[in-house]
Amino acid sequence: MSRHRDVRNINVADELDDGAVSDGGEEDLSPQEYEQLMSGLDHIRATVGSQEQSGLSDKEIKDTLYHYFFNVEQSINYLLEAQTRKIAARERKAAKEREKAEKLAQQKKAAEASAKLPPAKPKKATGAKLSGASTPVRSTDIRQLDLAGLNLDDETVLPIDEPPPKITVAREKVLEEARKQLEGNADKKTVSLVVIGHVDAGKSTLMGRLLYELGRVDDKTRKAHERASSKIGKSSFSWAWELDGTTEERERGITMDIALQSFATPRRQITILDAPGHRDFIPNMISGASQADCALLVVDAAVGEFEAGFERGGQTREHLLLVRSLGVSQVVIAINKLDQVQWSQARYKEICKLLRPFLIQSGFHPSKTKFVPVGAMAGVNLVARDGDEAQALNAWYSGPTLCDLLDELEPPTRDLDAPLRFPVANVFRTPSSVIAVSGRVCGGLVQVGERLRIVPGDETAVVKAIESEEERLEWAAAGSNVTLHLTAVDPRHITIGSVLCPPTDVVPLVTSFTARIIVFDIQVPITAGTSVELFHHSRDVPASISKLLATLDRASGTVLRKNPRSGEKHVGRGANYTSQHNRFWPYSPSTTDPLRAILCQQGNGEDSHSSWRRDNRSRYRNRIELSL
Amino acid sequence: MKLLGKHLDKDGSGYVTLRPDDDEDIWHLYNLIQEGDRVRASAVRRVQNVSATGSIESHRVRLNLTLAVARVTWSPSTAAAGEAASFSTDASTSTSAPAHAATLHISGRVTSENPHVKMGAFHTLDVEVNRDVRIEKDEGGWDSIALGRVEESCVPGRGAEVAAIVCGEGTATFCLLSQHMTMVMHRLEVSIPRKIAANSGAHEKGLTRFYSALFTSFLRHIPYSSPTIRAIVIASPGWVRDAVFDYIMAEATRTGNKALLSTRNKFIKVHVTSPHVHSLVEVLKSPEIASQLKETKFAREGIMLDKFFKMLGADEMRAWYGPVHVALAADRGAIGTLLISDDLFRASDPIMRKKYVQLVEDARQKNAEVLIFSSMHESGQQLNQLSGIAAILTFPLDVEVVEAEEREAKEEEERRKQAEENGEDVNAG
Repeated sequence: MSRHRDVRNINVADELDDGAVSDGGEEDLSPQEYEQLMSGLDHIRATVGSQEQSGLSDKEIKDTLYHYFFNVEQSINYLLEAQTRKIAARERKAAKEREKAEKLAQQKKAAEASAKLPPAKPKKATGAKLSGASTPVRSTDIRQLDLAGLNLDDETVLPIDEPPPKITVAREKVLEEARKQLEGNADKKTVSLVVIGHVDAGKSTLMGRLLYELGRVDDKTRKAHERASSKIGKSSFSWAWELDGTTEERERGITMDIALQSFATPRRQITILDAPGHRDFIPNMISGASQADCALLVVDAAVGEFEAGFERGGQTREHLLLVRSLGVSQVVIAINKLDQVQWSQARYKEICKLLRPFLIQSGFHPSKTKFVPVGAMAGVNLVARDGDEAQALNAWYSGPTLCDLLDELEPPTRDLDAPLRFPVANVFRTPSSVIAVSGRVCGGLVQVGERLRIVPGDETAVVKAIESEEERLEWAAAGSNVTLHLTAVDPRHITIGSVLCPPTDVVPLVTSFTARIIVFDIQVPITAGTSVELFHHSRDVPASISKLLATLDRASGTVLRKNPRSGEKHVGRGANYTSQHNRFWPYSPSTTDPLRAILCQQGNGEDSHSSWRRDNRSRYRNRIELSL
Repeated sequence: MKLLGKHLDKDGSGYVTLRPDDDEDIWHLYNLIQEGDRVRASAVRRVQNVSATGSIESHRVRLNLTLAVARVTWSPSTAAAGEAASFSTDASTSTSAPAHAATLHISGRVTSENPHVKMGAFHTLDVEVNRDVRIEKDEGGWDSIALGRVEESCVPGRGAEVAAIVCGEGTATFCLLSQHMTMVMHRLEVSIPRKIAANSGAHEKGLTRFYSALFTSFLRHIPYSSPTIRAIVIASPGWVRDAVFDYIMAEATRTGNKALLSTRNKFIKVHVTSPHVHSLVEVLKSPEIASQLKETKFAREGIMLDKFFKMLGADEMRAWYGPVHVALAADRGAIGTLLISDDLFRASDPIMRKKYVQLVEDARQKNAEVLIFSSMHESGQQLNQLSGIAAILTFPLDVEVVEAEEREAKEEEERRKQAEENGEDVNAG
């Protein structure tokens, strides 16, 4: 097979058959080149998706890589182009035989995509649907759950052997209702959105202004904030005050913890989690990001500021990597403060150009990344583009506004059949002195009256009420950010980071486990004994690595080297972690709550995150010690 | 510690009599006493006498016993007591007993004749502060490491101590760092509700509660007015340390605590990335601390361990760890700095200990810097997990190449042996 073949005219089917027999042209590659080729392939696969999704075969990718001398970015660009070209070509010349097989797959994919689009339905009032859950039937349900909650059977041993909980009528009804809502029959889909970006990019200001534009903030509060902020000489922070509530945040003009707000766009009910950008508050940002489906990246367009955020050690880069490894795949990029560069189109384009390759590298699909120019302070291009301020932007931009883009966010599929998992993000007392916990339902359903187990610990609590946007609900399903009011529990048994779960299906606790980790950009290599911090939802556990088992190939998972001395950069590896101080760490081995956590290496300041994913394969699972 | 008597023979046998002064000395004793040594110390033993009529009389006798050591156990002072003390327990006004109670238990058979105790009877000695201990070792027992430790522990006025509060929002750990030990005096955890946008009352109330709990614990657990305390470090991510410092000073002014106010310049605020105890390593290598405590042992350890990890990142061929690999590097005279944990010298197997002692002596002879890490420090614990021994080499060596060389040498040896045998066979034939 010739090395310099024309990649553009490849017969895919033939190539595939060919590849199955022998590895063809790879034979005359040097081992180094081969390695480059394989790593490039993994990179590209991570971006474009698997063969069925993308319609691109391994062979094609490899050839492209070879053609571009293993330059990943160029190859990706080319492949994506090729992909779109293929679709276009297919429509034109349907008769062409050699593309038939591939075409079928493509069509099928297109069909699927169109099916996913929500059918345009006439609007209905939101509240009516929710109050439907029947109350009278529930009493039996409660009794059963109560019995289970009394710990009569020794559930602390292992919950696996127990018979599954009986599904009562009420539960089924609720499930059905929840499903209906998720399928898009309901009026608005709910999406949660984490706002990320470098410190002082204007995240809180953008959110404060957006809330105002959408009518969530009245003029009175706005004026009060304006007056008070100019009093302490920080009038430019007046919009951010809507989200930065504490005195310290206001005095320093910096967000320190997640602020939760919500608003509605024409087709979506959006919960926003305004994350802190300062690198000392990364734990809080992770806590917020793990409650979100999508991300809004705010970038400062001012000269020098964007570069500072995007360079090594800047949070633009770090946050993007973190949210991606926490499972967020849709991102909207708001290029802010364009007013400071006179709404220069060149600057906007320059920033997009710098960000795009990095986004692809980090694993965001280009079709799921959207860019939008905004001016947060003046409120330009948030909801509308009118007024004098927007004149300059109107000259060259006619695309969607930020609000339009948020309206198009697709909520991911939620798993309702999984057991309930509710990681607690906050514990507080309501004004009426009821203990309340807030957070996101990660899997399953929670109903009023249900008894829940608090892990870690041996306590249970009863859900008294469920609250969302100051509205009482009868139930909440996976993906919703809610506040649960609890009774029959001492508040000291619940801490931030606890997990609420059904007493019949308790989250196991571990002190050591085997995990596969992906190492990002680190300065000091990982070795056995490295102290790390483990962040999972809102929990933060000090831990250390007890042993490096093997260095793994990032995509295929094959063992490259056993018992490595240290973990170099950018390599996935299996390692064994042990938590220190016997602090238990609750985790769920279900697939609905993908076990992604962030490990932060100690003492190296910036750029020292690695994320890990516990392997789902059984040989790893066996290794995990369960202890309770 | 005071050295009361010393009698050593040339072959490394003999005895040393010591009087421990504080917890750290107990730690030294723990590191000195090996299995098989004979230890003489005062003990209390219940003695039963059966009189002629058959009645049993039992009384306690204080006596000096000599044991052949079978097992030594050490428990640090407050780690257990302070573990996970929550706010609710802390808020109670009960004054806890002074936290100095590191204990060392030595058990073994009695080897000296005594009117009360039979030879060969088992006993467990509790080594206490201010009670003399005589340690007798057999031939070769008093090696350079053991003698070095005796010498080091008896230097007067070595007790430069640092108090550290590692805190985050809602958590604080109070530690005392001395030359060889990090003592966790107290852990404090106060749950603070997180902010809810635009309504931060609960959050701020929680914060005040946390600061006041922290202040009371500070007064109770940190001997701030003691002259041996060189510095009081407040370490945290974010701005918690500033707030904590301001609160402590404000409270001191309010309550008129002159002793505390006069220590104002001892306070050092250090930025760390995590609110957990293991960020103490980070504290020790921060420039603020390093410049103040450069000559102290624990600061040096922290800096060196950091250097090792940086070297591992920059030039893997110059940073080796693991007993086998380090021994290979030592054979090639490549060791520039040897980092070794005292854990390895406590090995119950005397041959293992001898091997490590030899390694250290060789390295010293070749002008290498040798740092014996205390495993009671965070840095020592990290080294322990890294197999307890590591070295920064003076010139790069590839592990795989060296291993291949070793293998070759071994094969060569075998071949020669085989050839010799064959040769003998031939000769014999």
